[in-house]
Amino acid sequence: MKSKSLSGYWFILPCFILLLGVLGVPMVMALLNSFAPIWTKGLSGFTFAYYRKLFVDPVFLNSLIRTVYFVGTTVALHLVLGLGVALALNSAVRARRFFRVIAILPWTVPDVIAGLVWACMYDPLSGILNELLHRLRLIASPVEWLANPTLVMPSVILADVWRGYPFVMLVLLAGLQTIPREQYEAARVDGASAIQEFLYVTLPNLKPMIAIATILDMIWQTRRFGLIWVMTEGGPARATEILSVLAYRQYFKFFNFEYASAISVVLALFLLLIGIPYIRMVSQRV
Amino acid sequence: MRAFGTRVLVHLFLFVVLVFNLMPFFWMISTSLKTDAEVHMIPPSWWPRTPTLEEGYGKVLMWTNFPRYFFNSTVVSLSAALISTLVGALAGYGFSRFYFRGRTFLIGVLLASQMLPGVLLVGPYFKMLVRIGLYDSHLGLILAFSTLTLPFSAWLLKGFIDTVPHELDEAALLDGCTRLQAFVRVVFPLITPGMVATIIFAFLLAWGDLLWALCLTTTDAMATVTLGLSRLVTQFRVIWPQLMAGAVIAAFPPMILYLLLQNYLVKGLTGGAVKE
Repeated sequence: MKSKSLSGYWFILPCFILLLGVLGVPMVMALLNSFAPIWTKGLSGFTFAYYRKLFVDPVFLNSLIRTVYFVGTTVALHLVLGLGVALALNSAVRARRFFRVIAILPWTVPDVIAGLVWACMYDPLSGILNELLHRLRLIASPVEWLANPTLVMPSVILADVWRGYPFVMLVLLAGLQTIPREQYEAARVDGASAIQEFLYVTLPNLKPMIAIATILDMIWQTRRFGLIWVMTEGGPARATEILSVLAYRQYFKFFNFEYASAISVVLALFLLLIGIPYIRMVSQRV
Repeated sequence: MRAFGTRVLVHLFLFVVLVFNLMPFFWMISTSLKTDAEVHMIPPSWWPRTPTLEEGYGKVLMWTNFPRYFFNSTVVSLSAALISTLVGALAGYGFSRFYFRGRTFLIGVLLASQMLPGVLLVGPYFKMLVRIGLYDSHLGLILAFSTLTLPFSAWLLKGFIDTVPHELDEAALLDGCTRLQAFVRVVFPLITPGMVATIIFAFLLAWGDLLWALCLTTTDAMATVTLGLSRLVTQFRVIWPQLMAGAVIAAFPPMILYLLLQNYLVKGLTGGAVKE
C-alpha cells in the first residue's frame, strides 16, 4: 500500500525547487516579457502590441509557415524511413544485430555534429556530394547546396532525416516485436496477402507506438536549433529561419526581448498542444 | 520463389540504408585524416593518399582551445547527469510510494515541463544568471542541464522504483530505518540499472546541446565542444581536417554511451508504452 503521510512532499521537493527555478520562473518572466518591457520598466508598459505585431509581420508569418514545413516534412520522412527499416529488420534478416547497430548510429551523433559533417559533405568544391553527382554525370558544375535559397531547406532536411529517423525506427521495432505471432498465423490461415497482413495486423498493433513516436518527434523537431544553426544560421536570406532560430536571433542578436518572448510563447503553446496527448498517454499508466 | 524475391529486396533495401547511414561517418573520418592541401584538391579524393594525424587531430588539439572545450563539456555534462539522477531518484520514490494532495497534478506538471521550448526559457534564465553573477560559469550550465533532464530522470526512475516490492522498504521501516534510510539502503541498490540509464541520458543531452551553451557563456574558455566547434565553422575560412577531427573526438563518447543504452532510452521516452 502507498502511504498517505506528508513525507512524500519531502522527496519531491528538491525536484520541484529546480523545476521552479530553472523552468518555472523563466517561463513566467518570458510570459510577462511578451506583454511588457519588464527588464527596464516593470509591468507599467503592459500592452498587446507585440502580439498584434506578430500577426502582421511577414518575417514571423513566413517563419511560422517554414517551421510547419520543416517539422511536417522531417517527421513524415522519419516515420516512413523508420517504419521501412523497422519492418525490414523485423523480417528474417541475416546479421540483424549488425544492421540494427548501423541503423541506430546516426542518432548517437549530437545534432550539431551531424550538421557539421553534412556541411562538410555539401561543400561545393571539396565536398563528396558534388563529386559523386559529377561522377554520375548528374551535374555539370558545382551546386551550392547551402548557399542557394531554394536548395538549402531540402539540404538541411536531408541532414536532419539522416540523424533523426533512427529513433522512430527504434521505437517501431520495439513495437513490432511485441505483436503476437498467432495474429499473423491466424491472418495467414484466413488467406490474407502480405499487404492485408500489414494493414490489418501490423498497423493496428503498432498504432500506439506510431502515435508516441510521432508526438515526441514533432516536439523535438519543432525545437530543433543546433543542426540548423551550424549549417546555415537560418540563412541564406532567412530561408531556413524556423521559429526557434528566429526567436534566438531576436533575443540575443537584436535584443528585441519583448518581441522574441512573444514568438517563444506562441512556440510554447504550439508545443503544449502537440504534447497534451503524450502527457495523457503516459500519465494513464501512473 | 516469391519469398526469395522479397528477401532479396529486403536485403537490397537494407544495403542502401547502410550506405546512407555510414557515408557521413566515412567522410568525417576521411576528411579528418587529410591535409588541408588535399582537401582543396579538385576533384576531391575519397580517401587521403597518405592518411595523417598531424594536420587534423594534431592541430585541433595543439593549436585550438579544443582540449579546454572537451574538459568543459565533461565537467558540465557529468555534474548535470549526477544531480539530475539523484534528485530524479528522490522524486521518483516520492511519486512511487506516496499518495498526497496534488500528486496527479504535479505529475502532469512534470511531464508538461518537458514540452517547453529552450528559446522561451533561455532568455530570462540568462538575465537571472547575469544578476546573480553566474553568467559564463560552469554552475549556470550545470543547473540548466540538471533541470532540463530532470522530468525524464524522475519519470524513468519512478518506473524502476515501481518494480521494487513495497514490502522491502516496509521491512526496513519496521527495523527502525527512517524513510530516507530505507530509500538509500534498500531501494537505491535495486535501481542501479535505471540510474545508470538516466546518468547517461542526461550526460548525452548536456553534451549535445548548443542553444544553452551559446546563450549562457561568452568567453572561449567556457565554451563546450559543440559551441567551440560551431565557432570554428563560422570563421571566415573553415579548415575541414581540424573541424572533422574535432567532430570525430566529440562524437565518440556519446556514440559509445548510446549504444549501451538504447533499450532504456526507448522505454524511458515512451513512458513504458512499449513493453519489452
